[in-house]
Amino acid sequence: MSDDIKVPGFNASELISGLKDVFEKYSDTERQAQIKKTNGIFELQVSNDAKETATWTIDMKKTGTVFKGKAQPKADVTIILSDETLIDLANGKLNGQKAFMTGKLKTRGNMMLATKLDTVLKGAKAKL
Amino acid sequence: MSFQGLISGSECAVPSNPLSQVLKHTEGDRSLQQLHQLPGTLNPTSNEHDVALARQFFDTNQQGHEMAPSFTIPYALGPARMDTMSGPHLHDAWVKEQQGIRPFEELANNAAWASEFGGSYSPSPSAQQIMVSKPEYQRPSLMSGVVMHGGTMPVTMYGANNVAHYGLSANFNVVEGKGKGKSREADFEAAFAQIAASLTPAQADVSGFVEIEDEATDIEESLKNVSLNVSESDVEHGTDFQKVWDQLQKSELPPPKEDLAKWEAEFSQLMNAQRDELDDYGSAMQEAWEGGVGNYQEGTHGENPVRFDAEGIPMLGDYVFEQNNKYLGQPPSSRSLLDDAKALLEQNGSLSEAAMMLEAAIQEGQLGEGGFETWILLGETRNMDEREDAGMRALTHGVKLAEEAGAPGAGMLSLAISFTNESYDRASHSMLLRWLRARFPTLVVPEETIKAMSTNSAWDTHTRITELFLGLARSQHDQGVMDPDVQIGLGVLFYTNGEYDRAKDCFATALAARPKDYLLWNRFGSSLSNGNKPEEALGAYREALQIRPTYTRAIYNVGVACLNIGADKEAAEHFLSALSLQQSTSGDTSDQLWFTLRRALLSMNRIDLADLAKPEARSSLELFRKEGFDF
Repeated sequence: MSDDIKVPGFNASELISGLKDVFEKYSDTERQAQIKKTNGIFELQVSNDAKETATWTIDMKKTGTVFKGKAQPKADVTIILSDETLIDLANGKLNGQKAFMTGKLKTRGNMMLATKLDTVLKGAKAKL
Repeated sequence: MSFQGLISGSECAVPSNPLSQVLKHTEGDRSLQQLHQLPGTLNPTSNEHDVALARQFFDTNQQGHEMAPSFTIPYALGPARMDTMSGPHLHDAWVKEQQGIRPFEELANNAAWASEFGGSYSPSPSAQQIMVSKPEYQRPSLMSGVVMHGGTMPVTMYGANNVAHYGLSANFNVVEGKGKGKSREADFEAAFAQIAASLTPAQADVSGFVEIEDEATDIEESLKNVSLNVSESDVEHGTDFQKVWDQLQKSELPPPKEDLAKWEAEFSQLMNAQRDELDDYGSAMQEAWEGGVGNYQEGTHGENPVRFDAEGIPMLGDYVFEQNNKYLGQPPSSRSLLDDAKALLEQNGSLSEAAMMLEAAIQEGQLGEGGFETWILLGETRNMDEREDAGMRALTHGVKLAEEAGAPGAGMLSLAISFTNESYDRASHSMLLRWLRARFPTLVVPEETIKAMSTNSAWDTHTRITELFLGLARSQHDQGVMDPDVQIGLGVLFYTNGEYDRAKDCFATALAARPKDYLLWNRFGSSLSNGNKPEEALGAYREALQIRPTYTRAIYNVGVACLNIGADKEAAEHFLSALSLQQSTSGDTSDQLWFTLRRALLSMNRIDLADLAKPEARSSLELFRKEGFDF
């Protein structure tokens, strides 16, 4: 497991590091399929109860990677949310739009992309 | 506008309040004011505010007539009266006037002004102070005129402080003017001109300048001394207003720097506040729309990026037929390939095999009813077999053919579902709307909604389409009807929006009418699974698989549910069994299945096995059986 991506005090650390593991093990074609489907760079600005902030970037546009810190050169969408909200998004308790409407999630940039976040966070999605 | 009316005392004293001319100014010269005060941007609200204030003032003024004024300032002049100051003879007239032509009315004006200031502006005390502290001065009214004039300016732009500032500086200049008669007047005019210049020309009382030039040359000179461009540029008699304004506009007199800076700071602060709140909605939408989602111009390597049409429907290209189709080129039998395929589907045969038959049928020209039936059936079969891309292409083609054949609606619901699975939300909404209009031609669809499909974002179209479906479902409910298809459409809409609970309810309602519909059971299960209830979803999938054991998608979904529960090995086994089902018939397998299988294997920390599932390494499924997977 890669510990360098984790930030102490954030429950989302596990989630992000899990995501990173998955992304790292993608084959090229899989990664490209995923990139094609999402095509965006997400910057997550996560705050926890102790008012600390952690920033992660999910690049689903160029490299198909997850890393700690700000997006370079810039993110398509910056998503500002709490640790708790991120966890809820990832396990499907909350969807992006609902979170946005209730003010739990704020975006800067292309907010259409924000709706794709739960697809990215969720490992596998059932199909209709 | 007649200036004679403004100058002559008789008209001044006529029914209308002389100050009402100010109102005309504010209304008449609005455009220029805007230009000057808001370089680059027009802010109509500030001007409306302005006019409203003036109106409000005159209304209060009317009441002021009746009220006994308790204010002690002897006399107050409106800025429109400035012109009367310029000539000595007029000055006399003014003195007379001051001595009591209509002191009461004017007094009322002043009181109203004062109350207006008191109510709206913080600098009012200082303004009042000026007026009160200089009662002995010959023309306190002039100052108050200046201040008042400032008061009618757009407040949003020039802060209230400025008004006070100008008022005070006017006061200063006036006090310093010690001469008598004309020279004093000249001084005053100079001071006024200075203030007027610093207030930007748009706010200066132009009528004053015009009259000054017409009637008093010494004042003109003094005006030149303070280098007000206007006086130089306009020496003609009888110039009309427009011309003066034009010149004022062209004059290079810059707006006061500090105001400009203040305004700029205010403006950028405002803009930034808004930007932070929502970013620029319009441009964000534009961007999202132009790029589909994200920008496809850069960064997407590998395959060609997906393109979208105006309604967000992806342009996928033609369906790619299988290379080795054993059903092709067979001697024609008594039954058509289409019928064979239907029979096979009926008997729970292999989906892959049925799809091959349908492909062959199309290639041999057996297009079925209306020329689209086979295409749509092929698409639906492909989707059931967990091959979304092929299914989507076939359905897109079939839907197009159906529309051309004059039978729109066929296959649209399936295609919308397909789009939903691939996260083409806008395409899904467009397709649902098309289906709705084809299926219920009498339903009233607002023109705006149809237009919105190609211009607005998925969030907006989602709301609009959901409203339509809900309205329809309600009216059907009132008539005691329950249309499963409408419920499915509604379910899909909720599903795209992540409202899995409501989606589940819709599919459950539809299931009440079609309990043997395995597709519905699967959709019901998917809603549960994505709504974080994978355990409950398994029950729904089981129902689907009991009716249709070869339903690849349901098997896949069972695997996904297992994956979400954390039962990785079971998940892998389900994916493997789905793969073996496909392999046994056609040899061709679904990439999606392999992909998710790899994921399950990675979760098990079996990287060695995951490598075997890579596209380039896909070999016999027997390898996995040897590893202890039971499928």
